[in-house]
Order: sequence, then structure tokens, then C-alpha cells
Amino acid sequence: MATDQGPSMTTYVGIWVGLLIIVGIEVAVTYQHPATKDLLAVLLILAFIEAAIGLLFFMHMRYERKILFWTVVPITLFVLFMMDHFWADAFRMFNLRLTQ
Amino acid sequence: MSDSELTIGTGHGALLEASPYGLQSKKLAMWLFIASDAVTFAAILVVYGFLRIGSPDWPRPFEWPSIANGLVMTFVLLSSSLTMLVAVRAAKAGQKSKAIQWLVFTMLLGIIFAALHLREWFHMFGEGWGLHKNPMGGPLDFGAAFFSITGLHLLHVISGVVALLVITLGYKSNWLDDNHVETTSLYWHFVDIVWMFVFPLMYLMNAR
Repeated sequence: MATDQGPSMTTYVGIWVGLLIIVGIEVAVTYQHPATKDLLAVLLILAFIEAAIGLLFFMHMRYERKILFWTVVPITLFVLFMMDHFWADAFRMFNLRLTQ
Repeated sequence: MSDSELTIGTGHGALLEASPYGLQSKKLAMWLFIASDAVTFAAILVVYGFLRIGSPDWPRPFEWPSIANGLVMTFVLLSSSLTMLVAVRAAKAGQKSKAIQWLVFTMLLGIIFAALHLREWFHMFGEGWGLHKNPMGGPLDFGAAFFSITGLHLLHVISGVVALLVITLGYKSNWLDDNHVETTSLYWHFVDIVWMFVFPLMYLMNAR
């Protein structure tokens, strides 16, 4: 079964170190004190990279059948996108802003 | 386990056809649970993001000691994913005692993470922060956002430790097998991935 495959422990340790380095970059960027929106964008991009690495390697999605990826990931992203931008409740978020 | 073995189980469903995913049903169920949980976390983080960006006077309570504490928590949780991977590999290789040993390490790291988290919380309570309390002035929503989002994540970590304890005891007594260990590891890694968003958005975005 596909789940029996996977990288070696050396690769796992390398990925672990890489994730720690990305966290270090996040902290370094934070203390450069960029504008709030710029900081949010950079932190989100780095967080998505970390999540993708974790999903593909730690959770072994890379080594499962492709149909699992195409079943779970696009639908999750689609629901999130619709929920946060198009469905009725999404518009309530604009009212949550304390300043316009 | 081969696809054909998947079809030779007990129960009527098992006699129909092999899973197109090549997974046991419990593992597929865990993937679906993770997808739904990811949407839950993402939704509250997006709402927090709107609040954070839309509030110019949003408080920034975290000085370096709190950020350093968050870094240690991140290190601990990331390391627990590594120990979980070792446990799964050992379980798959039939090395039961080694797998149990690494599962215990994973639980200990989870408990350390929760303890560090609660220490941070109580430090904040001592400074006057609460669900609707803001000692720095400005929006009251910071406490609600911070404690609800980090609280939901902490609840997941504590639930994960309990799940790992049950799985470890079951695996030790041959009631559960290596597939249960692997399925639980998916949940644990997911909790780790969620923290990769919670730490930068809740701590770093609010650092002084």
C-alpha cells in the first residue's frame, strides 16, 4: 500500500530543520517591523509553505494515491474560499471592522 | 496491506470493491475530519485577520519573552511531529516497544506544549487580559480572538494527547494495531500544521 512508502529518517530530520528555519525567518521578518498588511502577507505565505511541507511529507500525502489529494485539498480550499468571500456570512466580516 | 486484502474483511461493504483511495476507512475518515477541522480553523483565523487589519489601534501585547516562549512551544510541537514519525515507522516495522517508547515521547512533548501555553495564558491573566478585557486600551476583541483561537488549538493538543494515550494502551495490549497509530499520527501532524498558522498570526502579528 502506498502508505508503506516514505522518505528516510534523515529526510524527515532535514524537513524538521527546514521548518524550524522558516519559523526563524518569520520572527526575523517580524522584527523588521514592516507595515501590518505586508507582515500579514509574508507570514501567511511562509505559513502556507510550512503547511504544504507538513501535508506532503509528515502526513504522507505525497506518497498516497493522487485521488486523495484531488478529493481533499481542492474541495477544502473551495469551501474556505466561498465561505470567506462569497457566502452570506462572509459579508458580516466587513461589519466586524472597527474602523472603515 | 494490498488492495485485495482491503476487500477481504468482515462486513457486507468489504465484499463490494476495493477503496479507490487505497486506504483503510478509518484513515479516510480521519482525512475528511481533518479537512472539516481545517475549514473551522481557517474561518476563525480569517475573521481574526479582518479584525486585525481593520483596527489601527489593535493592541500589541507580546514582548520578546512571550515571543521566545512561543518559539519554544513551536520547537516542542515540531519535535513532537518528528517523534510521532519515528513511532509510526517503528510500528510499521513491527518494533512494538520502540513504537510505544516514541509514542510516550510524543505525549510528553504535547504535555510540555500545553504547560507552556497555559503558563503564557496565566501570565496574561495576571496582566489583566481576559476574554473581554484589554489593559492596554483599544479594542476589546483581542482577548476574545486570542483566547478562543489559541484555546481551540490547545483543546486539540490536549485531545491529541488523550487520543495518543488510548492508542498507546490499545497498541500495547494488541487491541489496536499499527494502522491505528498511523491514523492518529495524521491528527497529530494536523495539530502541528495549524500551529504554523496560529503562532505567526496570533503572536508575531501582535509583537511589539
